[in-house]
Order: sequence, then structure tokens, then C-alpha cells
Amino acid sequence: VSPAVKKITRVLIANRGEIAVRIARTLREMGITPIAVYSEVDRTAPHVRACELAVELGPAPANESYLVIDKILAAAKQTGADAIHPGYGFLSENAGFAEAVTRAGLTFIGPSADAMRVMGSKTGARRAVTAAKVPVVPGTPPMASVEEARSEAKKLGYPVMIKASSGGGGKGMRLVASEAELESAYRGARSEAKSAFGDDTVYLEKAILEPKHIEIQIFGGPDGKAVWLGERECSMQRRHQKVIEETPSPAIDEATRAAMGAVAVRAAEAVAYTGAGTCEFLFDPASKNFYFLEMNTRLQVEHPVTELCCGTDLVEAQVRVARGEPLPWRQEQIVRRGHAIEARLYAEDPSRNFMPSPGDIVDLVLPQGPGVRVDCGVASGFTVPRFYDPMIAKIAVWAEDRERARKKLLRALAETAVKGITTNGAFLRTLLAAPSFADGTYHTGSIVELMAAGSAPTSEHASVVGMLAAVVQQYRKDLEKSRQAAQGGARGGRSSAWRSIGRGGW
Amino acid sequence: MHYVALVKGGSDGTNQETAVEIQELAPFQYRITLDGKEHHVDARALRTDSLSLRVGDEIYDIESEEDPSGAGQNLLVRGELVTVEVVDVRTLHLRKAASTHSSGKGPREVRSPMPGKVVAVLAKDGDTVTEGQGLLVIEAMKMENELKSPKAGIVKKLAIQQGAVVEGNAVLCVVE
Repeated sequence: VSPAVKKITRVLIANRGEIAVRIARTLREMGITPIAVYSEVDRTAPHVRACELAVELGPAPANESYLVIDKILAAAKQTGADAIHPGYGFLSENAGFAEAVTRAGLTFIGPSADAMRVMGSKTGARRAVTAAKVPVVPGTPPMASVEEARSEAKKLGYPVMIKASSGGGGKGMRLVASEAELESAYRGARSEAKSAFGDDTVYLEKAILEPKHIEIQIFGGPDGKAVWLGERECSMQRRHQKVIEETPSPAIDEATRAAMGAVAVRAAEAVAYTGAGTCEFLFDPASKNFYFLEMNTRLQVEHPVTELCCGTDLVEAQVRVARGEPLPWRQEQIVRRGHAIEARLYAEDPSRNFMPSPGDIVDLVLPQGPGVRVDCGVASGFTVPRFYDPMIAKIAVWAEDRERARKKLLRALAETAVKGITTNGAFLRTLLAAPSFADGTYHTGSIVELMAAGSAPTSEHASVVGMLAAVVQQYRKDLEKSRQAAQGGARGGRSSAWRSIGRGGW
Repeated sequence: MHYVALVKGGSDGTNQETAVEIQELAPFQYRITLDGKEHHVDARALRTDSLSLRVGDEIYDIESEEDPSGAGQNLLVRGELVTVEVVDVRTLHLRKAASTHSSGKGPREVRSPMPGKVVAVLAKDGDTVTEGQGLLVIEAMKMENELKSPKAGIVKKLAIQQGAVVEGNAVLCVVE
């Protein structure tokens, strides 16, 4: 360890849910103390239990807890943290936060505030990459009013996409097919952007129909040089929210992949980017053209598929680069092997227009076995709060090839059961089994098409077995009821085995 | 013991009715007849609402839970979700009799589909609304959901204010 290297021994994780748990795991492996922050409703959340120190931030709404910079800095001071990892979402792409962390004498595990400011703003990123001769989709600067949006949309030609300037994760984004839809879409995008990012600035972009969403994972070192770690295809999206991600993409050949990688590295080096980042591209399978969409200046939700295929730990690399160490790999040392697919488990009900379904998790069964990785932010007995993102877990698999990985993920999801709340688990299996996913031709509109086609009816076999199980349960319930009635309601208290064997105590 | 099993048919709301007879042969061993077809079932409870079922030589690990909206039992069978309600014959008759009486165009309750915050109230008490017209907007998990009128009619008992926090399944208003 060179003397120039910064000391990082205690890291505050300014986040919650599965990503906070995931970061805490790597920190523990590195011998670094993980520190949690939490809101009132998250006291018993897995991310708190995964850490060694924890500080309560305040009430449940994110703008009174996870988004309050002063409270997070105070928590860092109180616990003696020397660095802060922002995770994804919340403050992860807030340049003001990165600056405040540095000003407080702490290390921000992420890119510099300057790079975030340029790349984090979609309009700024477009300017920067266009200068570096990176192809972009035609678009506009931020819109001042709905009137301006209307006239700019006419110039671009419908369909257009409305996007939040400080957006990400599909929030504050709307596809507008015609002028009639513009006004309500504009208003909807702005209010969603406001509540998700605290900034309601939006801009327009020409929409490319049936595109694929392909992104390149990049990593910048302290010397301003960057490498890329393959791509991820994230075309299975619903309302611009990714649902299934995989690497490598079945749609691109080695030449396109290499061209995208080179462009992504150029974009990153243009702003002397340090740490983990992602360049998102729209890919037109017909013309094989790709367009730079935006750069995400954070660790992505779907980073596990890259880790699985590259055999790396991106969080560890983030910490090492934040300490000032050189990148752990040279470009030629990055070897991708096999195929990885990830599915996001959401607390939402696909049969009721994907309505969020917060509530108590009564029981949770997670998949196991060869090649299965689970990143989960909830636990049995935990109440999924209604205040945050509905994603509760990521199930990722690795196999030697795509078809094996697809079958493995189907198998893993069949093992998964979340009781007490509704999830999209069965819906994820429907997507993985769809012909367009199996043959790799799916695009960003595929989920809507698949939903219009209707979900497959329950098989006769499953209905019969389901009935048998339900009948046994009902029969036992009725039997128990009549037994109790016969005893006149006098119930013998069951004695707990814990009481008889646990007497010794600590 | 005799039952009727109702397999819920998804969005169109049709249920498939099956006559059931169950007989306990020995501890954990049952003979179950579904519409005349006999099945030999060995059923062991694992944890709460979870069963290992052996049907003939086939083994099934079944996770189940009560459906939150009261539609019956949700069962996960090798990755497929099945909703089944098991009722006795008398309950089914009573229910059918009741539904023929109330099948008219009576008042319909508008219930909160989830716990959340009311971010907009789009109609007033006494408003005449059309079917599908937005009445309220509820927000949970950063997602806004518009609640639409289930029928054409007049809005009644709408007392909820913008900013109010509501529980799941709470009655928010009635459309008559």
C-alpha cells in the first residue's frame, strides 16, 4: 500500500434495501466496518442488521431521511466514518452531496462532483459526448413550458420521449405518440421527476421504436484512464423500469460490442471519470446503429450480471479506487465468461396494473443452488414500507451459455416464494418463457406486447394439484375447528421447546 | 367430507367449480375425489401454510397464503400461481342466492387498493361521473395510481382530503 493511498476503515452506506446489504457484505469481506442509516420504518430492515453500526435519520418519507444530506453527514460524524458509499438512487447522483461529503473531510465512494455534474445531467452529458464524437439521439435542451415542449416536439416529429434532466431508472419519463397526449405526459413526467429527484426539469428526445437498451459498464481509475467490462442488455422494461437484464447481449456481434466499449471509454475519459459508471445506448437492431443515451454515475442495480461474467467485485473495486489505488485490472485482463441473467423481484401486482403492494412479509423462500445469486433487501417478518422503491430482491444466475442461464433462472424463480404481499414472480417467469426472450429478439416494447397477448392460463395440472392442496388445508382447518368445539374451547397451551431447552441462558 | 373447489379464473372473474370429496385414510394419507377422479394424496405440513404433497409418486412443494383480497388460497405449484377457494356446498348455495338479489346496478364502493397517500381528489361529493372517470389519485412507493369510477352515477360519502393517508382496502367513496 503506497503512502498516497487514503485510509478507509469505516464506511457509511447512505442507502437502504438490497443494495445497502450488498455493499455491507463486500465491506465486511474487506475488513471495513459497514455503517447503516435508516428511517423510522426501517429499524429492523435487513440492511440495518447487515451493518455493525447504525444511526436513525428520521421519519419515513425519503425527503425527511435518506435524502437529507445534513443528517447523513451528522450520522457519519457520530459513528466516525471516513467514507460514504451512496449506492444507487437517493443521493447517489447528487453532485452537491458528493461535494458536501468531501467538504466534511470524508471520502465519497464514486466519481468527482464535476464529472457527476456533467454526466449526471442528461443534457450536459449529451453536450460532452457529442464533443467527443459519440453518436446521440436527436433531442432538445430543458423545456421551460408546455408550449415550448409542444413546438419542439413538432420539430422533432412524433413519437417523442419526455425525460427528466436529473432522471434515471425510468422515473419522470413518458413516451408521447401524438400531440394530443403531450400536455398530460408533460405534466406527469414533471411531477414524477419532482417527487423522485426534487427537480422537475424535463427535455425531449426523438423516440426510436422497438429499440434495444444496451449499456456498457465502465470503470475509471485515478489516472483518468478507463476500462470497460462488457455490456448488459436491459430491453425487458416496463414503463422504462428494467425488469430483466443479461450479459452478453444476444443482439450484438463482437465488432459492435467493441465499438460500443470504445465509445463508452472515450465518453468516460472525456470527463476524467473515476469509479464505476455506465454508458447507456439505444441499439437499433435493423441498422445496427447505436446512440448514446446517458451516463449513470453510480453503481447500477444490474451490476451483478457483470460481476458474474467477469468474476469481479465492483464494490471492492469502487472502494480501492476511492482509496486512490490504481484500477485492479488492465483492459486485456478483463475476460468475460459464460452468460448471466438477472430478474428483479418487485412488490407489485401485475394483474392489477402493477399496483405497488407494500405490507408484511409473512414468509420468504429464496432460491439456492449452483449458479444462483440472491441480493435481497427484505426478510420474513419485515414490513415492506410504502415509501420507497418496490424492488425487494434481485435473483441472478450464471451458466455456461444463454439457454442454460435462462433455464436456471426459471428454475430459481420457481423456488422463490414471498408470502403476505403480492410480487411479480410469476410474471418474471412468463417473460423468461416468452419466445421473444428465448430467441433474444425482445425489445423495449416487448413487455407491453406480451401483456396485450394475455398471460398464459394456469395449466390443468397445476389447477388439480392446487385444488388437492387447498382441500387438504381446508379439511384440516375444519377438523381442528370441530375438535376445539368439542373441547368447549378450552385450549391446552402448547409448551415451547425453546423454554425447555433454553433454560441455561447466556 | 364434501366440498366445492373454486379455481379462480383470473381477470374475467370466472370460477371453475369442482365437486370434491376427501377421506382421511390414515395419518397424512387422503383419498380425494375431484369430479369423480380419485387421487391418493400424502400431505405433510412443513411450516405455516406450506405443504409437501405426494400425489401418486409425484412430489410437490407447495407454498400457500390467504389471498389478500379474500379470494381464497393462493398456491404456488412448481412456479405456477393458482387461486383456489374451498367452500362447503351449503355456503355456495347461499352465496349464489345472495348474488342473484344484488346483481342489479346498486351502489358500488371505491376502495383503496393499497396503503398510501391521497395526492389528489378529482371529484366532489354529489358529482355525476361516468364509468372510468378518475376519482382520486393515491401514491405509494413513488408510484401514482388513479382510482376510476366503477360505474356511471353520483359520488357519495367522499370525505377524504388531499394529503390523507389511507389503509389498504379502505372505503374512499361510493358511486350510486
